[in-house]
Amino acid sequence: MTHLSPDQVVDVAEGCADAAVAAHAARCASCRAKAESLLDAVRLAESDPPVEPSPLFWPHLAARIGNAVRREGARVPFWRSWTWRLAPIGAAAVLMVAIGIGARVWPGTPGGSPLVPAMPAGSPAQAAMEPSADVETADDPSWLLVSALSADVSVEEAEASGAWPPPGGADKALLQLDDAERMELARILRAELRTRGPVAPQGPGA
Amino acid sequence: MSTRAAAWPAGGIQPDWTLTVLPSTQDESGRDEPLGDLDDRRLVELCLAGRVDAFDVVVERHQRVVYQLCFRFVRRHEDAADLTQEVFLRAYRGLRRFRGDATLATWLHRIGVNVCLNKVAGRKVPETPLDDAPHIPAAGDDPAVSFAKAREGARVRAAVARLPRKQRATLILRVYQDLSHREIALALGTTVGAVKANFFHALGNLKKILAEEASAKP
Repeated sequence: MTHLSPDQVVDVAEGCADAAVAAHAARCASCRAKAESLLDAVRLAESDPPVEPSPLFWPHLAARIGNAVRREGARVPFWRSWTWRLAPIGAAAVLMVAIGIGARVWPGTPGGSPLVPAMPAGSPAQAAMEPSADVETADDPSWLLVSALSADVSVEEAEASGAWPPPGGADKALLQLDDAERMELARILRAELRTRGPVAPQGPGA
Repeated sequence: MSTRAAAWPAGGIQPDWTLTVLPSTQDESGRDEPLGDLDDRRLVELCLAGRVDAFDVVVERHQRVVYQLCFRFVRRHEDAADLTQEVFLRAYRGLRRFRGDATLATWLHRIGVNVCLNKVAGRKVPETPLDDAPHIPAAGDDPAVSFAKAREGARVRAAVARLPRKQRATLILRVYQDLSHREIALALGTTVGAVKANFFHALGNLKKILAEEASAKP
């Protein structure tokens, strides 16, 4: 004889079994005993009464949750904060690239003086400005567009338009570098100084 | 039609105020309904439209059951309050994911069970001191009877805490939170049959644990 499955025993104990299951339980002492044992266990579990904190607790808890929810709503998404932090650095980087490309595509500016000071050939900084072998910058329409747009823009105009880091922006960016980035910057500066040779001391005591 | 907008000169002075359109809380007769009179679904709509005060009503309405659920898992008032806050914060963050195929209460139970099971995962079951027992003796109760009730309650609570995770969650939701098997299935992301089977085994194990403890005591 097949006895009731656990879920059918639960149905019998809770009085919601269908007719066939209920008929089996009425005939089978073993399944009836299981259902009664289940009800015993429920009564045991119910002997642990529900928790009832002080009535004063609920307004306190609701206020606490309300404050947490409002703090949550006021939180600035991290991507937005990062965008704003990186904006001056990004603007400066775009401008530097634009000026560099402009100087390469149109070496002679109307005033006759190049916007980018000449760097010794083969220096790390010069190498960084060189397009890599697999980038065809001269034929790239987007680079040409950037160069064309930035060719007549002076530093003063860029500053006035807001596309220039604010005062102290470079210092702030420097302070935000991590140890590895600072070491890399130091390495580039040292290499640059070695290429240019010793710098003569300047100032009143020199 | 005479409106303020029509009176503005084109290209002239712009208004120094902005118009924000929020879902109306008016009933069919145009009367403003208090937030407390709105059902959960309407409150959720208002929350999604930016009405944080609508979420306050959700909290006031459901904090008691969520707290009681959390207390059943952690058995400490401070922890239960912290977890209740966590449950509502998660609900607030994920309100857009509430699709309405279950009630808001069932959805909160689902979040609550997940938060509580994560909290108690791998944690040693603490002994509940009798002082922490939540039973408040009614006036006129015999102190000896009250003490026996409190001791029995603490014993049962400790036994429930020793049940496997799913059995424990099922038993708590069925016996203490009074959810139907279908609601429990929605809350635990399982089938009604599995819920009933878990309930059956949870009660069997509960009896076994209590019997073992009783026989182990001198």
